[in-house]
Amino acid sequence: MSILEYNGAAIIAMAGDGCVGIAADRRLGAQLHTIATDFTKCFRMAPKLYVGLGGLATDVQTLHQLLEFRMNLYTLKEEREMTPQVFSHLLSHLLYEKRFGPYFVEPVVCGLDEKGEPFLSGMDLIGAPVTAKDFVVTGTCTGNLFGMCESLYKPKMNPDELFECLAQSLLSSVDRDSVSGWGGIVHIITKDNVITRELKGRMD
Amino acid sequence: MSEMVMNSLPVDYATETSGGFSFENATRNPMIMASKGAEYLPKLTKKTGTTICGMVYKGGVVLGADTRATSDTEVAEKNCEKIHYLAPNIYCCGAGTAADTEMITQMMASQLELLRMNTHSQSRVITACTLLKRRLFGYQGHISAALVLGGVDNINGPAVYNIAPHGSTAKLNYSTMGSGSLAAMSIFESDWKEDMSEEEAVQLVKRAIGAGIFNDLGSGSNCDICILRTDGTKDYRRNDVKPNEVAPLRALVNKSSLLSMVPGLTPTIGNPLIQPHPARVSLADVDVVMETVES
Amino acid sequence: MAALIGNDILDIGSRKARRQREDPMAPGFAFGAPGQFDIPNVADPAAYCRSNFASVCGTGDEDQSVKFMKGTTTLAFKFNGGVIVSVDSRSTMGAYISSGTVKKVIEINPFLLGTMAGGAADCSFWERNLGMECRLYELRNGRRISVAGASKLLANVMSSYRGYGLSMGTMIAGWDEKGPQLYYVDDDGTRLKGKIFSVGSGSTYAYGVLDNYYREDLTIEEAVDLGKRAIYHAAHRDAASGGINNLYHMTKDGFVKVHSIDVNDMHYQFAEERARAMQS
Repeated sequence: MSILEYNGAAIIAMAGDGCVGIAADRRLGAQLHTIATDFTKCFRMAPKLYVGLGGLATDVQTLHQLLEFRMNLYTLKEEREMTPQVFSHLLSHLLYEKRFGPYFVEPVVCGLDEKGEPFLSGMDLIGAPVTAKDFVVTGTCTGNLFGMCESLYKPKMNPDELFECLAQSLLSSVDRDSVSGWGGIVHIITKDNVITRELKGRMD
Repeated sequence: MSEMVMNSLPVDYATETSGGFSFENATRNPMIMASKGAEYLPKLTKKTGTTICGMVYKGGVVLGADTRATSDTEVAEKNCEKIHYLAPNIYCCGAGTAADTEMITQMMASQLELLRMNTHSQSRVITACTLLKRRLFGYQGHISAALVLGGVDNINGPAVYNIAPHGSTAKLNYSTMGSGSLAAMSIFESDWKEDMSEEEAVQLVKRAIGAGIFNDLGSGSNCDICILRTDGTKDYRRNDVKPNEVAPLRALVNKSSLLSMVPGLTPTIGNPLIQPHPARVSLADVDVVMETVES
Repeated sequence: MAALIGNDILDIGSRKARRQREDPMAPGFAFGAPGQFDIPNVADPAAYCRSNFASVCGTGDEDQSVKFMKGTTTLAFKFNGGVIVSVDSRSTMGAYISSGTVKKVIEINPFLLGTMAGGAADCSFWERNLGMECRLYELRNGRRISVAGASKLLANVMSSYRGYGLSMGTMIAGWDEKGPQLYYVDDDGTRLKGKIFSVGSGSTYAYGVLDNYYREDLTIEEAVDLGKRAIYHAAHRDAASGGINNLYHMTKDGFVKVHSIDVNDMHYQFAEERARAMQS
């Protein structure tokens, strides 16, 4: 078993029309043993910026704290918010710095840029960036997630459609993955607010 | 004293970095993996199971690349960029571990830019080649970047260099790299000629990349082309050939009403939490009060 | 000699391995004889099978090209009203859930139930084979085989293929002349008689519930509820268990299939119960 699959995760970030969304499952496990069903894997790094961290839970938390620190430092120095593009590069270089002793985390970044346009990116555990216009996924069932997103994604979805698309893609994917699931959470970022909904998923 | 400051590395104390790699987790990771009973899999990293190539023609060089990135057997990205900028007159195709090719070319681009500022002269292809091979050799192949470097300069004219991950290089008329290199090389071996026209050269590169896209499972999607001419002009054609367009297929699939998720379909727990974006706050809006410490 | 193979009821399907080891070119050698495996023609067939076709529990077949379905919670317990056999329905290959609707209780005959844990193919093949042998016993002797006898037949097969990488953890539940019976049989030939058993990756969770609430004098309703709750708690905590709870009750008149309930429906039902209990 790969160390990235030790705790289990399923995360999707998807773009809509002037909005982006991120969905994640809630399980924290130790291989097959489910420890908690309220674990956070998506973090709000700025008003219109979320990062989803899939992989080894200890590194998910460490990396989140490290990112929080770097974000605060940036806002203090620059007196402005970090754009998703800049955040993505920061994260990429943070990961590549540890090329030969990586954090076991594969992140996805989503947010709205200065123009209110959706931004998405994904990375492997040493920071190789993947940019996409439609969706990026990470976790232990990327095959399932890619498959669901490929068939349910439509361009120019409104926030409500985007939510349904994300929720259905996530729930269907984790129902075929043993180490992720146990409920889900979806954040939809629009130009005015962030709408967070908790999903009623299978609890086995 | 001033000399000491000059020689010491510029350490950013806030972020505790001084440039270069960090081996902070290098002892931790094998311990974690041993304790969790998992073996270390280098295949976790994203690879550009790739077809890249470059060739010299009468009026410059042409570089070509496919756009597929894979992680294990999964297609991680369908339209990535593998022809990287190094200098206005030099570009570089990368194959191998995606992060390594991306980062080493970014690093090289910045070094070359600094060098141009210092020397007030154009970057030479041989310089880029030497800088790259030194770095790669220093890491003894651990940075897995297989590169095809191409460019034009005023001293040596057009040149294509092949750079292997261990740091060996070769100056060639045509070169291919990546998992599709054999497919692409078969095209060059049969049809490359000296002093080809630009049109012929671009056509040949497209065929070579096409051979990789269609015959190598690690390569796929689109074909990027970059032309660097001896007259100093260049033409970067992103997605010049798109033989694997999925948008029409997806449009067909999405016509089904079954695949349109009606709002209200997914069961949720409780009411949605709506958080408005905070009004922008800058330091100017904050009253800074001097804190006094009572003794 | 050849005519006797497979006829000795205490030795179903185990002779081929032994015979081939003695003389690979022995006369009477036939491929695909029922109830017997063809043994690969290599120096050490046991080691060869073990390293290439082992369907051990957990993730032991990670680097094996042939992978098997596994990951389970099954349980059975004996009480005054008979035997309850309760199982989940999930089948996994690595982390992937290959099926959510597996029938893990094998109805060997009206008075014998077997459960499936470990390699799905190994369990279903050998328990089907056991069903055949039990029927032959009835025809020869004019009476039903005892559960002790049936489980011994299965245990003998497991012993004879010991080390070949078979994977099976099963409970044989039945009702014979001496009343309700429950045996545990596994791939290393272990055969145990007992009151409570649970097998599979979720068994520890199920044991927790069973040990806490089990009594010999449970009513049938209480026993069914216990079997159902034990599977629910295992399915909730164990990633490799889940799907549907199939529950059987073995009575003196044969088995009765009590229910098939989606474990997820149970989750919300129990959550509601808890919420009500908190209020009152």
